[in-house]
Amino acid sequence: MDGKYETIIIGGGVVGNGIAYHLSERYKEGVLVLDKKYPLSGTSGSTQAWVWVHNKTPSWYAELNYYSAELYPYLSKKIGDVEYKRTGGLSPFFQEKDKEKALYLAESYEKIGIKIKVLSKEEVLVKEQCINPKVVGATYSSIDGNVNPFRLIDRYMRSAKKNNVEYSTYNKVTDIKKQDGQYIIVSDKKNYMCKNLILAGGTWSNELGNMLGINIPIYQLRGQILVSEPLKPFLRHTVSGLRQANNGEVLMGYSMEKKGFNRSTTLDVIQETANMAVHYVPSLRKAKIVRAFSGIRAMPEDGFPILGTVPGFENLYVAATHSGVTLSPLIGTLITELILDGETSFPIDNYSISRFN
Amino acid sequence: MDTDVLIIGAGPAGIVAAIETASKGLNVTIIDESNLLGGQLRQQTQMLQSLPSPYQSMRGFELAQDLTNQLTQFPIRYLLEHRIIGIYANGSLGITDELNVFPIMAKKIIVATGATENAISFPKWTLPGIMTIGAAQTLVNRDFVIPGKSAVIVGSTDFAMDIIHQLIDVGINIKGIIEQQPTIQAREMKKVNELYDIGLPFYVNASIKEARGIGEVKEVDIQLQDRVFTEYVDLVLVDGGRSPILDLFYQLNCSFGFGDKLGGWVPSYNQSFQTSVNDVFIAGNATGISVHGALLITGKIAATSVCEELEVLSREEAEKQSAELWKELESREYTDVFQERIKHIESYKSPMLKNQFIS
Repeated sequence: MDGKYETIIIGGGVVGNGIAYHLSERYKEGVLVLDKKYPLSGTSGSTQAWVWVHNKTPSWYAELNYYSAELYPYLSKKIGDVEYKRTGGLSPFFQEKDKEKALYLAESYEKIGIKIKVLSKEEVLVKEQCINPKVVGATYSSIDGNVNPFRLIDRYMRSAKKNNVEYSTYNKVTDIKKQDGQYIIVSDKKNYMCKNLILAGGTWSNELGNMLGINIPIYQLRGQILVSEPLKPFLRHTVSGLRQANNGEVLMGYSMEKKGFNRSTTLDVIQETANMAVHYVPSLRKAKIVRAFSGIRAMPEDGFPILGTVPGFENLYVAATHSGVTLSPLIGTLITELILDGETSFPIDNYSISRFN
Repeated sequence: MDTDVLIIGAGPAGIVAAIETASKGLNVTIIDESNLLGGQLRQQTQMLQSLPSPYQSMRGFELAQDLTNQLTQFPIRYLLEHRIIGIYANGSLGITDELNVFPIMAKKIIVATGATENAISFPKWTLPGIMTIGAAQTLVNRDFVIPGKSAVIVGSTDFAMDIIHQLIDVGINIKGIIEQQPTIQAREMKKVNELYDIGLPFYVNASIKEARGIGEVKEVDIQLQDRVFTEYVDLVLVDGGRSPILDLFYQLNCSFGFGDKLGGWVPSYNQSFQTSVNDVFIAGNATGISVHGALLITGKIAATSVCEELEVLSREEAEKQSAELWKELESREYTDVFQERIKHIESYKSPMLKNQFIS
């Protein structure tokens, strides 16, 4: 089967690998993943890796995240320990007027069955003692948490490979053509042919779409993250912009900048980030920062995932989204269903690429 | 804070660059993380040969003193015990004294961050008592601490030979010099022969198989081609050569090339010692590991280029001065190192690593 595959996935990030693994659970032949560099060299390897539901709006988008987060414990059982921790998520606020917004959020989530609590100042400080005592309150969601992205993708890949998924890395796709009901993928290494094609190029989705004349409106949004020295475990929750990893390092990041594919860090943002972190957790003032890095988010034009089939293109699927870590188990499941069953167990009409023109 | 020239690193190359630029009337700031000027020279008691004119042969700390004295003639701003921790979006550098962070905007930057020693690893190489040979020199000459009573040395560069002499002078018993290669790496055979003559055993094609000890090194197994034997020592000094310190160049988004004889990865630079980033120049061991004389000359060339760009030196004068300095560099530096430097410069336009921040 030289160069011929049933299904090719372009992009070996958390989304592409999530699809590859879930597909391989049911379908053990002829799946190839192509990556222009190597899995984890892009967005998926430079993230805080929250599994985060709460304060995503509107509620139908929160619901998608919720169902995906619900899949994580089960996923860990199938692919192995990915250091998934359901720490609970805390979004503190410092102004009285934010309380109303919080209550409204809680109410709208209630309708779809996601429980978030609006905590008083005292309740926040009982839950998380290190938060700035000037806090007015917080929203709290028990389903939020985080995962080790390196383990997650490594485990996805190992499990997919066990199920005969093939990988070709450092292999950039340079052109895609349609021919006799098949897709021809032209890459640095060679040409491939497949029936089903999945575009999971993350930040590069736009370029991939252009090869087929499709508009996949994804732009790049840089985030700079600071890493502290390993500190003794003190931060119990995933807090807005902050989390403590298993090794004690605290990751801090809030920034969003449109800088294309430039992954440098700037001291301006590093200082802002440090100030924000100290504002939330004053004891971080004493922590030493050991490094800073940037990651490039794949951000859809309207902020919502682009998922599913592409009108006018048979057997072509797109999966391009922000929050790939949170959403990967569900996206993997849904795209697999779409390919093998022709329909999904959860409606994804809201996420169709047809909403853009 | 603004400055015409910001010099990063107050070792020999940085100081020479500061003297050259300040003497032309430029506003110069020099920053170093240490509390004193002179860099590694301060603990170097070995005689430095082949220094460029007007310097006579002298010991490292004497050269540090000589250079520091020359600096006092000029109104230079010193930022000692300061470090650079990042780059602002507008190109100014973020400096810290551990308490505050402030920006410096420099018209030109000369980075002279020097080199770092490479370690050699083997099982249990992290036991206390095992350190780089430069660390032992610092303990003896700067801190007046004897790091151990009896030692084996792993590696055999010129730098190691110099320091072994100093260690013997302070009463450390050297039990052997272990070299993995089939030949001794040092080029100055005189120093090697002196050590031979006092009966020091040299082992080539040899390595440390394992170190042992609880809480500190007590013994090492030495692997020769045909046998293994054990030496009882409380000190193992590793000499894995030196490599340029690159962190700041990386942050500044400079391009890099690779040269074995220069110490590995080296920032790309042209004949003016200008890096791939327009206003950033390079000097000293960061340009490739070389002899002391060469370090001073690279500092002068970089400073000459900066003076020309800031129009305190005419183009003709700068070119003439540079050409002379390059000739002197060629005469002071080991031929193979100089040739690799030239090769490195030729690859300036097509570096091996560039745009490291573009994904």
